[in-house]
Amino acid sequence: MFRRASKTLSVVAAAVMVLAACTPADPAGGNRTIKVAYQKTDSFTALDTMFQNAKKEFEAANQGVTIELQPIQANDDDYGTKLALALRSPSTAPDVFYEDTFKVRSDVDAGYLLNLDSRLSGWGDWNKFDAGAKEAGKADDGGTYAVPLGTDTRAIWYNKKVFEAAGIGLPWRPSSWQDILDTARKIKASQPDVIPFNMYAGKGTGEGSVMQGFYELLYGTGASLYDQDSKKWVVGSAGFKDSLTFLKTLYGEKLAVPPAQALDPNIWKKVFGEWFPKAKLGATVEGSYAPSFWQDGGSYAWPGYGQDMAVAPFPTQTGAAPGAVSMSGGWTLALGAETKQPDLAFNFLTTALNAKNSLAFTVDSSQIAVRTDVAADPGYQSANPFVKDVSSLVAVTRYRPATSDYPRISAAVQEATEAVITGSRTPEQAAADYDTAVAGIVGGDKTIRK
Amino acid sequence: MPASHRRRQVLRYLPVLPAVVLLLVFLAGPVLWAFHASLTNAGLTGRHARNPEWVGLDNYQRLLQDPVLPLSLALTVLFVAGSAILGQNVLGLALAVLMRRARPVVSATVGTAVVAAWVLPEIVAAFAAYAFFSRDGTLNQLLGRLGVPETDWLYTVPMAAVILANVWRGTAFSMLVYRSALSGVPGELTEAAQMDGAGAWQRLAFITLPVIRGSIATNLMLVTLQTLAVFTLIWVMTAGGPANGSTTLPVMAYQEAFKFGDIGYGTAVATVLILIGAVFGAAYLRLLREQRP
Amino acid sequence: MTARNVRARSTWADVALLLTGACFLLPLLWLVLGSVDPSAGHAVKVPQQPGLDNFAAVLTPELLFRPLWNSLLLSAGTGLVTLAAAVLAAYPLSRYRSRFTTPFMYGILFGTCLPITAIMVPVYGLFVQLRLLDSLPATVLFLAATSLPMAIWMTRNFMDAVPLALEEAAWVDGASRLAGLRSIVLPLMGPGLGVVFIFVFIQAWGNFFVPFVLLLSEGRQPAAVSIFSFFGQHGAVAYGQLAAFSILYSVPVLALYAIVARGTGNSLALSGAVRG
Repeated sequence: MFRRASKTLSVVAAAVMVLAACTPADPAGGNRTIKVAYQKTDSFTALDTMFQNAKKEFEAANQGVTIELQPIQANDDDYGTKLALALRSPSTAPDVFYEDTFKVRSDVDAGYLLNLDSRLSGWGDWNKFDAGAKEAGKADDGGTYAVPLGTDTRAIWYNKKVFEAAGIGLPWRPSSWQDILDTARKIKASQPDVIPFNMYAGKGTGEGSVMQGFYELLYGTGASLYDQDSKKWVVGSAGFKDSLTFLKTLYGEKLAVPPAQALDPNIWKKVFGEWFPKAKLGATVEGSYAPSFWQDGGSYAWPGYGQDMAVAPFPTQTGAAPGAVSMSGGWTLALGAETKQPDLAFNFLTTALNAKNSLAFTVDSSQIAVRTDVAADPGYQSANPFVKDVSSLVAVTRYRPATSDYPRISAAVQEATEAVITGSRTPEQAAADYDTAVAGIVGGDKTIRK
Repeated sequence: MPASHRRRQVLRYLPVLPAVVLLLVFLAGPVLWAFHASLTNAGLTGRHARNPEWVGLDNYQRLLQDPVLPLSLALTVLFVAGSAILGQNVLGLALAVLMRRARPVVSATVGTAVVAAWVLPEIVAAFAAYAFFSRDGTLNQLLGRLGVPETDWLYTVPMAAVILANVWRGTAFSMLVYRSALSGVPGELTEAAQMDGAGAWQRLAFITLPVIRGSIATNLMLVTLQTLAVFTLIWVMTAGGPANGSTTLPVMAYQEAFKFGDIGYGTAVATVLILIGAVFGAAYLRLLREQRP
Repeated sequence: MTARNVRARSTWADVALLLTGACFLLPLLWLVLGSVDPSAGHAVKVPQQPGLDNFAAVLTPELLFRPLWNSLLLSAGTGLVTLAAAVLAAYPLSRYRSRFTTPFMYGILFGTCLPITAIMVPVYGLFVQLRLLDSLPATVLFLAATSLPMAIWMTRNFMDAVPLALEEAAWVDGASRLAGLRSIVLPLMGPGLGVVFIFVFIQAWGNFFVPFVLLLSEGRQPAAVSIFSFFGQHGAVAYGQLAAFSILYSVPVLALYAIVARGTGNSLALSGAVRG
């Protein structure tokens, strides 16, 4: 009987050992780990640096805690896919992660993000964040689910040499769409082999085509994509048609690139790498991160960009208030909804986004500061010659209505612009197609005519 | 007696078990899940990420009304017919035939060049093809010397570009298959035909090809099925554009599932792809069965 | 066939072949030129100041050596597992007659037409449930499963070409079926096994999506995934380094192919791999 008992005991002991070895280490009472997921590529290491520094700081201040960094080497799309897969199950969801503002609302809908309201109100630094930037992390229910890392704006970048050769007075400040067209025509008349004014359109450049193109037009007409009050998508607006007509005129009069080139996903590389440095392009609408390509160590390093280039805000349709339009995207840091150590994770987040780390990251990646103390820092303001210009646009900037339906709506907008610049549809027809498409995507009852 | 006979049968087929287990767990299981997902509104993000709802055949209904579907179907068939059935198959056969008549040194060198394109990792090949066809790529530079103006091939003729790229990439397989098939053709047959006065083309058409009919059919089947799944090449070269001009079914499935986060819809498209594969497969089976002794 | 006839046909065939070969090498021009050009773009141009800077920049442990090692582990592992499973499976399918053989063979063949992207979401879910994420061995098993259909097909056909009579002779001498397989059939299938291994290896070497989704830590990623580190934020690409990396990434498979081809008699013909 003893033999049987000891046999049973040893079997049970073995089973317990096996089970203990198989189940993951219980976090309670010993090493506590925070998983951090973010994007890292050959040219985008600013975030990695920031997290490495934050990790050192945090682990030194909190004994027994390990920060496990999980950089994901991928482009934006693939990073989003990988993150979405990881968030699907609690066992793989990271505690802290790098999240596109674009995805915040749909991820909140999915229940992936932790509501940060109570924690943020207890964080002293939170009121140093710009009020407009805070919008980026808000969801439909008004709660804040993500903290912005930095933001960007869009403006007209123009080559002073081209403008001087065309006899246009500098600094150039177009006050309406008509101004842009007139100036473009002037450039074309004086320098036939220079592209006067580039504006992205079509599906080739993807989201960039509308962020740095159509939306600057649309939001300057008083119309918008989404009506916040009624929570419905806008269809049939005059502003939409007018914006399409502008693009048609621009491309039709050959004031922009040939449509075939506009549809090349890599056209922006030519803009930065070839046309501007060689003064073959008059102006384009692009993001505030442009200097990151031209500065030392950037993909298209151009020492003379500070002297040759200048920035102008994109005007509203007729110059009506507020006079200029800009669009913002940007990225945030968010916490996983099912994180096992919410307080610890939040503390790490605040460490990563403290003034020092924030400043280093913002300058490193040519972002626009979202913290007022960082924005006032002389190091930030001298990072590149255009920081003041692009930062001032935060006051007039708009955000995309980034709900889970948005990617399809964006694709419909891109299709409309493509149809118009290739001449296959008139602006009225393309706008009508868009209206039908939107109704098909969100359902007729979620649309509103304005 | 029957019991032990059955036991012997089971034991005989036991070695198939590892393969079957792997296939069931890692392939059949996920495929069944994908079928199931196509009957829900599962999403990658948004409301239905954690709680997908059963929607029955809604996704398929939507698919049938989607204007992109007929285009995608047509493009897929065009891609398979152009690059696999015609391109790789015919070129592979032509190369194999030529190699039997050329100097061994030339055969070996050209064989290596053809195989190099096949062996290259997919991403690298896709990028090289993109660079080749792009506006300032090799093709335009060569044609420029002949006086042809610079064209944006990937914009004006995207399907032609991806078909050519896929032919470049995959011909090696057919070439190798036909080389060995041709070496199995008895010399006496062709010699006898030559004695009777048959020319080279006639010998090829009436003697050689019928003899290797089995290999042709099987090769067509394998090459077609593999070409149906081609995704990365097209995605890197044109991303399905312009205006869905090169959106084959795998590209459409990826866009729906991962760009728009609609997994239910994306897997419905993938199901259509399998059906197309089954249609092609059935056609080839007919061909094979006809000539099986 | 007179000697003169042979030579005349040869020349015409030579020319046609050489032209075709040249066409096949053209797209690789960009790769080669870009890799030695410190200021490479995605246009093809003869470098003004050719140099090996791109290679130097790329030849680091994190960027090249560790990913290549991971690629080697993944691809070789997949090749071996697939080969083992395929040989075992091919034996009964080749040697015994059953009415299930043909449906089975064609059934698994349809596995090859499914794009991997369609099943990555459920596979990811499966791996999460089985706690197999971020594990090289588990990823090898999955890659093997996806390579099995073609591998079984090719192996079975190769095995068909080995006459049963030879095995029967061994049985008469008292050897078991397993011994017969090991000592008679496999050696005779040598070149065929090489072909299957190389086929599976090449596919696994170039596979990006599977390791990208199933492996988490940076240190386990193969070269197919780390190549994307050259695609920066906002879509910028470091072309020269990408070209250099691509060449270094492709060399191992090219070399392996050359070795296997020489080992199987200088003409890697898929002898008997594909028959009616």
